[in-house]
Amino acid sequence: MNIKGKSRSAMIGALFASAMAFSMATTGFAGDNNTVVIGLQAEPVTFDPTQIADLNTTLVVHRLYEGLVGIKYGTYDLEPRLAESWEISDDGLVYTFKLRAGVKFHDGTDFNADAVKFSWERQRDDTHPAHGELTYRGVNSYLGPVDTIEVVDDLTIRITLSAPSGPFLARVTGMTMRIISPTALLKHGDDIGQFPAGTGPYMLDEWEPGIRATLSANPDYWGGAPEISNLIYVPIVEPAARLSAITTGEIDLTIDVPFDSLADLEANPDVVLKQGASAHVWFVALNTQISDPPFDNVLVRRAMNYAVDKESIVNDILQGTAVVSTGPLSPGYGDMRNANVKQYPYDPEKARELLVEAGHPGGFGNCEFLVPESGSGMQAPVEMGTLIQANLAAVGIDCSIKTMEWGAYLTAYRENPQMAQMSWNPPIGDPDIVMNNLFNSSNFPPGWNAGSYKNEEVDRLVTGASQNADPAIRRDFYLKAQELIVEDAPWIFVNHGSQIIVHSAKLKGFLVSPNFDLILENSTFED
Amino acid sequence: MFFYIIKRILATIPVMVIVALFVFLMLRLSPGDPAAVIAGDYATTEDVERIREQLGLNEPIPVQMYKWIAQLARGDLGTAIFSKLPVTTLIGQRLEPTLLLALCTIIFTVLVAVPLGTIAAYKAGSWIDRFVMLFSVAGFSVPIFVLGYMLIYVLSMQLKILPVQGYKSPFEYGLWEFLRHMILPVITLSVIYIALIARMTRATVQEVLQEDYVRTARAKGQSEFKVLMFHALRNAAVPIVTVIGLGIALMIGGVVVTESVYNIPGLGRLVLDAVLARDYPVIQGLILFFSFIYILINLLIDLSYTLLDPRIRY
Repeated sequence: MNIKGKSRSAMIGALFASAMAFSMATTGFAGDNNTVVIGLQAEPVTFDPTQIADLNTTLVVHRLYEGLVGIKYGTYDLEPRLAESWEISDDGLVYTFKLRAGVKFHDGTDFNADAVKFSWERQRDDTHPAHGELTYRGVNSYLGPVDTIEVVDDLTIRITLSAPSGPFLARVTGMTMRIISPTALLKHGDDIGQFPAGTGPYMLDEWEPGIRATLSANPDYWGGAPEISNLIYVPIVEPAARLSAITTGEIDLTIDVPFDSLADLEANPDVVLKQGASAHVWFVALNTQISDPPFDNVLVRRAMNYAVDKESIVNDILQGTAVVSTGPLSPGYGDMRNANVKQYPYDPEKARELLVEAGHPGGFGNCEFLVPESGSGMQAPVEMGTLIQANLAAVGIDCSIKTMEWGAYLTAYRENPQMAQMSWNPPIGDPDIVMNNLFNSSNFPPGWNAGSYKNEEVDRLVTGASQNADPAIRRDFYLKAQELIVEDAPWIFVNHGSQIIVHSAKLKGFLVSPNFDLILENSTFED
Repeated sequence: MFFYIIKRILATIPVMVIVALFVFLMLRLSPGDPAAVIAGDYATTEDVERIREQLGLNEPIPVQMYKWIAQLARGDLGTAIFSKLPVTTLIGQRLEPTLLLALCTIIFTVLVAVPLGTIAAYKAGSWIDRFVMLFSVAGFSVPIFVLGYMLIYVLSMQLKILPVQGYKSPFEYGLWEFLRHMILPVITLSVIYIALIARMTRATVQEVLQEDYVRTARAKGQSEFKVLMFHALRNAAVPIVTVIGLGIALMIGGVVVTESVYNIPGLGRLVLDAVLARDYPVIQGLILFFSFIYILINLLIDLSYTLLDPRIRY
C-alpha cells in the first residue's frame, strides 16, 4: 500500500480523532463523588481477622471489624470502641469491660458479651463449634495471657489473666481480637473469610479476587454512617504502576510509591503527599555471640554504629522520609521512648579509634551481610545495604553482601546470620512488641532476637515491663532498658521511616495513622 | 490418527508425573517457610512450630509427597495456605484474563508478524526488509518490563489516551472497555513474538520463493498475491506454525511480567504472589497446570501439521 500526501495526513487525522475519543472515554471508577478508590500493594486474601498475615489485608479488614478497645484516630492512644469503658483490678489480673449497647453486626445479629466470648473462645478451644480446621496465629501471642472469659451479663464481660500483662489492653485492639458475628460464624464456619460480618463502619459489598474488593458504608453504624459511601480496594503490585495510577487519577489513595518520585508528587497540585510518624524501626542486627568477625566485642559494634552515615541514608536514599534512629523505639512511642541515650553520630575517625582499642587496628574482613531484595517495611534495602557496606569498608571492615528474595530471607534471618537488615512495623502501640520480642534472650533464634543479644538486666527489665500493668513502672523499665541496649549496640541503629501516603486533593480531612491504617470514615471526598 | 492422539495423550501422564515430582522437591529444597510468613512478625517460635505442624510441614518429605500425589490422583490440587480456597477455584478465578491476554496477543502477533515477514521476504533487500529486520533485533532485545513502562509513560501518562493499568472483563464491561485496557499489555507482550515470528517467516518464505514451483506458478501467469499466499506461504507454514507454537509456550513467562506491570488479575500474578508467600499448593498446582497447557499446545501443533502438509501422517 502506498500512502502519500493527502491520504497520509487523513490517516494521521483519523488516528488523532480516535485518540481523542479514547481520552474522553478515560474516566474509570475514580472520580465518583462518593467513591474512593484505594491502590494497595497486594490484594486482601481473606476477611477473617484471625487469619491475616499481611498489611494489605489488614487495611481492608480494619474497616469491617472492631475490637473492644480501639486506637484514637491519628494517634497510638487507646480509646473505647465496642467497649464503653473498662475496669482493671488492682492486681492487674481482672479486666471488666462494659460493652456498648445497641450495636449490631452487619448481618443484623446483636453485639453482646456472648459474641465477644464466642469470637475469642473460637480460636483457643478446639471443641468450639466454630473452631473448624483453621490455624489461629494469635492463640499464644494475643490470647496467651487470658485465663478465663466470663459473660457477667448481656453487656459485661470479665477477662481474667493468668499473670499481669502490660501490653494486654493494647493487644485487645489487635486484629485477632476483633469481634465476629456468632451467627455468621456458625453459618459459614471456616469460610467466614469470604462472608465477613463485623460491626465496622463499612461492610463488604463484593469481592472479585485479584480485581477489587468493594465496601459500602454501614448505614446503621453506631458511630454514625460514614460520609464516603463506597471504598474500592484494588491491588496494584508494582510501585511504579501505583504511581502512574495516582497521578492519572485512576485511584484516589495509595501507599508506598518510589522514593525518587516524591519531589514530583509534592509539586503536583492534584495530589497530596502526606507523611506521618510511625513506630517503624530499621536496623542491622549484629550477631553478638560470634568472635569471627568479632561482633561479640562491644567496641567493634559501637565502632560500626559510628562508621555508618545515617544522615546520608535518610536524606539521600530515603529522600528525607525518615528520621535517624538513636535507639529501638521511634518518636511515635511518645514518652516511652528514651532520647537521652548514648549517641552514635557519623564519625569514622572515632570508629577507627574504637577498632584499635578493640584490638583490630586495621579492621577485619570475612563478614557476610544479609540483605533482602525487597520486603515489607524494608525501604530501599539494597541501596541502603550498599551504602552501609561502603561506610564500613572506609574504616576497614570488609563485608560481602548476600542478597536474597524476601521469603527466603525471613528464614535465613532467623538462622543466626552474622549481620542482617531488618525492620519492624508494630501493629499496636505498645513497646513490648519491640523491646521483648527483639531483645529478650528468651527469643534467641529461631525467635526474633536474631543477634542472640543477651544482657541479664535487659531481660529482667523487658520481662518485668511485660508482666506489669502499671504504665509508670513500665515506662521506668523501658527507659532503663533502652539506655542499656543502646550502650551494648547489638544493632546498627539506622532510621525510623515515616509512612508515606499519596491521595487525591479531593479527599479532605484524612489523617495518617501511626499503625499504618488508612482510616476513611472520618474523611470526605469532594471536588 | 485417532490412536496417535490417544497415544500422545497417554504419553503426557509420565511427563506430568515427572514435572509434579520435580516441582514438589524443588519447592521443598528451596529456602523459605510458609509457616513463618503466616505466623507474622509478632509470632513466637512456638507459634511457628504449631503452624508448621498443622500444615503438615513437619512430616518427612516422602510422606508429604505421597499425600500430595494421592490427592492429585483424585483430581484435587489442594487448598491454598493463605486464602484457604481450593487451588482449582483460584485457577478458575484467574483463568479468564490470562486466556484472553494470550489469545489477543497470539492473534495480534500473527496478524502483524506473518504479513511483515512475507513482505520483507518478497522485497528482500529493500527498505521494508531492512526496517523489519531492524525491528526484529530491537524487539527481541528490549525486556518486557522496560517496554511496558515506556508505553505507559508515553501513552497513558503523557498523552493520556489509554488507561494505566487494570483489567475489564468483556463479559461485564463490554468489548470496548476490555480492548482499551488490553491494548498496552498486548503490544508489550507481543513485540518479542512479532520479532521472532517475522524473522522466521521472512527466512522460510524467502527460501520457498527460490523453489521451482514458485517459478512455475509465476510462469503460468498467477498474480503475485496468489503466488505469495498459496504457493509460498502455504509451503512455508510448517516452520512458522512451529515457531508460533513455541511462542505460545514461551508466553507463560512473559505473562507473569506483563500481568504485574499492567496489574492484570491473571494466572501470572497468581504465580508471583504464591511464590513470594511460599504458598506451596498454589505454586505446585499452577506449575502442573502450565505444564499441561504446554504439552497440550505441542500436541495441537503436531496435529496441525497434517492439515498444513498432507505428506505428514501419523
